[in-house]
Amino acid sequence: MFYSVRHVTRFRYSNPVRQSVMELRMQPRSEGRQSLRNFQIATMPRAQLYAYTDHFGNAVYHFNVLREHSELRIEAQSVIEVSHAVALPATADALEWQRYNGLNLRAEHYDLLGPSDFACLSPELARFTAAHQLERPEGDTLTALRKLNAVIYGAFEYEVGITQVHSPIAQAIKERRGVCQDFAHIMIAIARNWGVPARYVSGYLYHRRQDKDRSAEDATHAWVEAYLPSFGWVGFDPTNNIMAGERHIRVAVGRDYADVPPTRGTFKGDAESELAVAVTVEPTSAPVRHEEFLRVARPISATKEKTGPTEQSYFQQQQQQQ
Amino acid sequence: MFASDGTVRRHYAELSERVSELSSDELRRRQQACEQSFLHQGITFTVYGDNSSTERIIPTDLLPRIITAAEWARLEAGLKQRIQALNLFLHDIYADGRVLRDGLVPRALIYGSKHYRREMRGIPVPHGAYVNVCGTDLVRREDGTFVVLEDNLRVPSGVSYMLANRDVVRRAFPALFRTAGVRPIEHYPQDLLATLRSLAPFQDDVSIAVLTPGVFNSAYFEHAFLARQMGVELVEGRDIVVNDNCVYARTTSGLKRLDVIYRRIDDDFIDPLAFRADSTLGVPGVFNAYRAGNVVIANAPGTGIADDKAVYAYVPRLIRYYLSEEPILASVETFLCREPKSLSHVLANLDSLVVKAVGESGGYGMLVGPHASTAEREAFAEKIKADPDNYIAQPTIQLSTAPCFIEGAIEPRHVDLRPFILHGEQTTIAPGALTRVALKRGSLVVNSSQGGGSKDTWVLSA
Repeated sequence: MFYSVRHVTRFRYSNPVRQSVMELRMQPRSEGRQSLRNFQIATMPRAQLYAYTDHFGNAVYHFNVLREHSELRIEAQSVIEVSHAVALPATADALEWQRYNGLNLRAEHYDLLGPSDFACLSPELARFTAAHQLERPEGDTLTALRKLNAVIYGAFEYEVGITQVHSPIAQAIKERRGVCQDFAHIMIAIARNWGVPARYVSGYLYHRRQDKDRSAEDATHAWVEAYLPSFGWVGFDPTNNIMAGERHIRVAVGRDYADVPPTRGTFKGDAESELAVAVTVEPTSAPVRHEEFLRVARPISATKEKTGPTEQSYFQQQQQQQ
Repeated sequence: MFASDGTVRRHYAELSERVSELSSDELRRRQQACEQSFLHQGITFTVYGDNSSTERIIPTDLLPRIITAAEWARLEAGLKQRIQALNLFLHDIYADGRVLRDGLVPRALIYGSKHYRREMRGIPVPHGAYVNVCGTDLVRREDGTFVVLEDNLRVPSGVSYMLANRDVVRRAFPALFRTAGVRPIEHYPQDLLATLRSLAPFQDDVSIAVLTPGVFNSAYFEHAFLARQMGVELVEGRDIVVNDNCVYARTTSGLKRLDVIYRRIDDDFIDPLAFRADSTLGVPGVFNAYRAGNVVIANAPGTGIADDKAVYAYVPRLIRYYLSEEPILASVETFLCREPKSLSHVLANLDSLVVKAVGESGGYGMLVGPHASTAEREAFAEKIKADPDNYIAQPTIQLSTAPCFIEGAIEPRHVDLRPFILHGEQTTIAPGALTRVALKRGSLVVNSSQGGGSKDTWVLSA
């Protein structure tokens, strides 16, 4: 299955700003069942893009605009191939919990086992887990996590505007409402508390009418991956009470949202900023095979320009005059 | 100055003789000349939260402290060994994590620390030198040997006082200074410049700047002093701009490319894009330029993990692990409450120990056992039991004393010692140090913010 994704971000400023510096985590990952076939970013005003790979393996692009501007637009386009998911069994066997003991989990997944900035423990979360009998996992790992996925789906209304990007999960728990980011953080905090390594996935979801997804169609999406010894990383989408599958396109992974925001930046100037985002995900039948993504490790400007003429030019300039 | 039998130690004989010849009035006159000189040069520091006068001079004591050539040789070798091991440790935890895999240092101690910078993982640093400027605090024990109290690996300060003290005390005792054979330290700024230059990716026309938080910082004088002495720009975050992943200083003659930044601001504030988003002191994008190798930041971000109070306890083991050598300098015996055996020892001996919270500094979250009431000790024991990983304990340390000229008389005061180690392509230590003095009688607090003063430190050449 091929998808074409267009992700447009627009910042508008109430007064012109002097300088913007920005990092983007928008390039879909190319691993496992998902291959990146094409990826392009264009900015307006135009800027030179640089890239690096962060310590979670996410591709990060960054740029700066030094000119005065009152609008900044970023358009990312990608073509991704996603292959069929291997169907998971209905349950894992009873030994699956014990298999964690055989792994050196702390060595492999230290950061994904403890609380993080957003996926943190709180009295509100403790009350929530107590009210839904989630203090201890019930049944085998797969069953317990599926139940957790369903409980979060059932306990919360999907509503935009109740929580902000930087709201703690306690707020969503109090309000019983929130968005995919909140649900993912709640699920991660509980899973980690059970001793299951869990990470936050930011990406896109292909919405079809028949699926009745709660998540917003024209926005980025977020879900959870939990590590199971027999199955590896397994994706759960508590916003829609489904397993992450062929419709989920993974862009970045991290401990929580703070590690993977699609845009992170600063500007200089006395202005209010407005953020607008549009996402479209469409199946496509034109899988153009492009070259692999190359990381710009050291751009050309890294080496200092030579001030004098090059040796070659020095000899050329000494050519015989007739 | 005095040996335990009350006789004057040999290397202090000349100073003792010279001082005894001078009248108290003459000494007072010379002391005042020193203080005047400090005021005129503007060598002041800022006391936060004090309305009466925020700018103060650090009181300088007239009498120099003297360290013999043999004592210094041992200190120098020990400090070099220590900084080498600490740099290897930093490289390891930001690369392979061999020391964690081998179980020598618990993962939780590193990954659980707020000073561990995941952003530094896998980033190569020039010469493997993470800590380029280090100020190590030592005290002299009763047996005469020096023991390390603390490594300051982030933004250590005080070197300007070391240089200023020398300047005034040399003038107070010109004849004695000439004959004593005191090793020079005036070349420190040049050594610092050479160290910073050695970090640049290419060696011709290296452009360096000192990055200061601003004039309101307590050590602003030092930032300006070092920049002036090295002949490099002194900049604040707002004077720097990142364009196309390279770093430039705004100067009167336009943008000037920067190759090395000697930063005197904390990791958190370096770059609002990479670290604390609300930082107004930093330079957005500078860490990306650093990652790409387009600029060097000294000290490297993330060095704070190695001067953590709990990691301190592991330094002797780290020296053996990375260098296969025995530590030359002793450390203070440290009990890690995370280890069950140490925990029971600490709880049983709270009345004789100093207990410190690992992540804190400056005396917060601390229990001084001998000075605490039974109720305080009991309350603290509960805190330790609730979160043993967060606490370490050490025996109370007796600081050595040195004679000081206090209100017309010569009296002993407690002192410590902070030498400054430079580490780039090579390791250099200026033969001198900042000797901090607790000016209140009996006090053990040498911090300048708490009424501490300082002394010139003479390292003898023979």
